[in-house]
Parts: sequence; C-alpha cells; structure tokens
Amino acid sequence: MKRIHPTRNLVTIAVASVLFGLASCETAPDSTAVLEQARSAVAQAESDPNVTRYAPIELDRARKLLTSAEGAARQEGAKDNSAAHYAYLTTQMARIAQQRAQEQVTTTRIKAGEAERQQILMSARENEANQSVAQAQLENIEAAQTTRGIVLTLDDVSFDKGKAALKSGSQQPLDQIASFLSENPERRVQVEGFTDSEGANDYNLELSQSRADAVAMAIIQRGIDAQRVRALGYGEEFPVASNASVGSRQLNRRVEIIVSNNDAAIPGRAAGVL
Amino acid sequence: MITVNGIRNAFWCAIAFGIVACASTPMPVAKLALAKTSIERAEQAQAAQFAQMELDSARNKFAAAQAAADEREALVAARLADQADVDAQLAESTARAKQQEQLVTELDASLRDLRSETLRRDNAGTATPEPAPQQQQ
Repeated sequence: MKRIHPTRNLVTIAVASVLFGLASCETAPDSTAVLEQARSAVAQAESDPNVTRYAPIELDRARKLLTSAEGAARQEGAKDNSAAHYAYLTTQMARIAQQRAQEQVTTTRIKAGEAERQQILMSARENEANQSVAQAQLENIEAAQTTRGIVLTLDDVSFDKGKAALKSGSQQPLDQIASFLSENPERRVQVEGFTDSEGANDYNLELSQSRADAVAMAIIQRGIDAQRVRALGYGEEFPVASNASVGSRQLNRRVEIIVSNNDAAIPGRAAGVL
Repeated sequence: MITVNGIRNAFWCAIAFGIVACASTPMPVAKLALAKTSIERAEQAQAAQFAQMELDSARNKFAAAQAAADEREALVAARLADQADVDAQLAESTARAKQQEQLVTELDASLRDLRSETLRRDNAGTATPEPAPQQQQ
C-alpha cells in the first residue's frame, strides 16, 4: 500500500491554501461586499411579515438567487465574477419583494379607506334625508328655533272655550310632533299652557295646566315615553300680546310645545327668555 | 492553383464556421427581450416619475447588453440583460408602491375632512340654535 508522506501532504495543503488565498483575494473585495449586501437584503425582506404574506414568490426567487451567489462564491475562479452578478440580482429581487409587499399593504389600506368613505357618505346622505324630513314636518306646523329648543304653538282654536280637551282638528300637528320625537329619541318635549288675563288667576293657572296635560297626554298616547314629556301651566304669565283687545287675547291663549335641541333638559321659563 | 472545387470547399468551410460560431456563442435573445418587456412595464407604471434612478439603471444596462450582444460577447450581454431586467422590475414595483402611497395619503386627508365635516354637521343640529325670534316682550 502506498502511503503519502505526511510532510509532503502538509506542503500540498499549504500551497493549495496560498493559491486559494490568492484566487479569493483577487475577487474578494468586490464579491464579498456585494454578497454581504445580498444576504442582509434577503434577511431584511424575510423579517418583514408583509413580505412573507404578500410577496412569497419574489422572496423565494431572492433566496434562490442568494444560494446561486453563495455557490458561485465558493467555487469562483479569479476571472469569473458570477458571484457578484448573482449577489446583485439577489439584492434587487429582495427589494422588489419589499416594494410589492408594500404596494399590497397600501392597496389593502386604500380598500378599507374607500369602504369607510362610502360608509360616511352614505350615513351623511341618510342624515340629510332625515333632517329634511324632520324639517318638512316641523315647517308644516310652523316651528320656531329658540335657545330652549324648537317651539311649536297651538292656538286657542285647538280648544273649546274653558275646556281642556283637544279638538279633533288639532290631532294632526301632534301626530307630526310624535313622529318627529320617535325619529329623534334623544330629544325631550315640554308642553306649556297659557291663558289671557280674563278671569281669576287660579282658574287660569288650572286651565293652562289642564290644557298642557291634555297635549302631553296626547303625545304620550302616540308612543312617546312619558319620561321625555313634561307639562307646565303658566296661566296669564308670559303673554305674547297685550291682552287689550280680543285679537291679542286670542294670541295669548295658547299651548307651546318645546322640543329640545338635544338630550339636555329644557331650561325653565324666566322673564325675557323663550 | 485555385480550383472551382477549392473555392467551393472554402465557401462550405466559411458557412460551417459561421454555424459553429453562432452555435458556440448563442446571444441571449430571450433575456434581452425579457429585459425590454420589463422596461416597458416600468415605463407604463410611470417609473420615469416615481423611480427614475432604477429606470435609468435598467435602460443603461439594457443598452450595454445590446452593445455587448452586437460585439458577440454572450456572457456579458446575458448578465447585463438579467440586471437590466431586475432593475426594471424594481423600478416598476417602486413606482407602483409610491403611487399607492400617494393615493393613501390623499384618501386619508379626504377621510379626515369627511369625518370633521360630519362631526360639525351633527353638532350644528343640536348645539347651535339660532337666536330666539321675537315672540314675547
């Protein structure tokens, strides 16, 4: 059996190493740097969950190119620069993967935003429609916007003289108020009764309270929660006209219905405040 | 002495040499075509505006690849074509990503406007009543 001399063997290895060292030195500055760049580009793409999710094909290509680059670097001769070439392709492919993933992420965000936009526009249109319906309803019965809320006035034609019961002709505005209140469940309503200055104070107070109660009851009977409805009688107080003539007295005999602007309680009535 | 036969032989030799030469150094026609398509796709994706550097690199390498192919340097041409191809792909994907980013920024702004407008309108319905009309003294 032939035995290789150990010293000669060592020499062979040394020579081989030197040759290999020379060969790698010639390409090392270029290819190791770009190879390192390629490795970190792939690592960066791999660490991005969006890339693995949205650009797996590109990431796979980058990995395969990196394998080619590493392989080329291992067996590279001095003249062939293929490691640097594959390393370049690897880096670019990893970047492509990231850009494609980024595009997908943004596209998803755009879709979600677009859906939200549609939603907002739709509810805005709905709101507008509701608002105009409510306005149309309240316009019919001549509502006035005040700091206390929307004030609707039922004149004394709604009641028989000295009686609290509502005449049948006065039902329609109450229907409209009730439907407005059921469409705006946060709003409250306050019913206030007034008389002219004819007759005794106590009688007028009681009559105005009874009329306010009758109107409040009519609203509650239309399905509005009693908690949202309050009735107050003010008698001769807070006249809107002088009481000096038949016409002005008629103006003073009235029931005002105040619908709150929001869910807050309606402020009480004080001189000078509507 | 030059014979007809000799000329004929030389002719065949030349043809044979040409075929061999062609076969031994196939030009990367497919790679060049691929790179060209990728560049066109990048151009369509408005890479000139959104990824100019990458597109320029792709165009330059493609031109160099063509020149190398004309010089019958197959390996150089193939590599340059491959690099032009990935450069063009990067230009295209970068351009697309940037345009989507721009879209999302615009959409976010319009959503912000919409939300604040809705909020304002909602508040207007309940919190800003007009001054009381004169109904009483």
